[in-house]
Amino acid sequence: MTEYEIRELCNEFFDAYQDGRVDVLRRIMSDDCIVWHNVFGRETTRDENLEAYPNSYSGQRRRTYNDRVINAFHDGFVIQYSLNGVMHTGHKGALWICIVGRVRDGKITRIDEYMDTSKFAAWMGGPRA
Amino acid sequence: MSIDTDHRKLCHALFDALEAGDVAGVDECYAPDMTMWINVSGETITREANLDAVDKGRALHRRRLYNDRNINTFDDGFVVQYTTHVVAHNGTEVPLSACLVAEVRDGKISKLFEYLDTTQFRSRAKTK
Repeated sequence: MTEYEIRELCNEFFDAYQDGRVDVLRRIMSDDCIVWHNVFGRETTRDENLEAYPNSYSGQRRRTYNDRVINAFHDGFVIQYSLNGVMHTGHKGALWICIVGRVRDGKITRIDEYMDTSKFAAWMGGPRA
Repeated sequence: MSIDTDHRKLCHALFDALEAGDVAGVDECYAPDMTMWINVSGETITREANLDAVDKGRALHRRRLYNDRNINTFDDGFVVQYTTHVVAHNGTEVPLSACLVAEVRDGKISKLFEYLDTTQFRSRAKTK
């Protein structure tokens, strides 16, 4: 894949995540795609990840994946971005995240995600008074 | 040498110097205007502040290893995924998975962005 194609794939992935397009995610993640999170220190499959997708969104009214800084290498990419969320209380929070993705034949084959869970409380905000 | 090889060597030089507590060696890897951003604080620090932290950090642990270095390079930088193994003065060892993105200019690191999970580190350190 060319650098351009890898960047396009990366943006397509994040646009789909933002818009809740599970069908697109399933198409651009390979059947054997693995997702690893530094928070849990374990790997999940593509289907486990997509199955958990609706629940992962339940705490927010809206999420956007902004300030995407993407660098591509021969079989993958690294993206640094801000995850901006609007909670059901109206609180707005931001998380800074880095993902390293591996690609093959136009699909993402592996995702390694790095974030700091100590920021989760500020991200969620307190309950509505 | 290719850019890929140069960037990989620079990455290893930085981590080897950090492991050895070699502040001058770390400094060798940095451009004069180098800055470092850390997801833990969300702040950007200068080269001097970073070197000061490296220097003071030496006393905090008996040993710190940067293992499992998975490096990928691009035109003007590299990303390295790694596991830091910290050996405390009481002998306990705490692993921490982290990711570092570097921008490189003229063979020196001009920007560093570090991503790690502090909660995991603290909880593991506590249970040891």
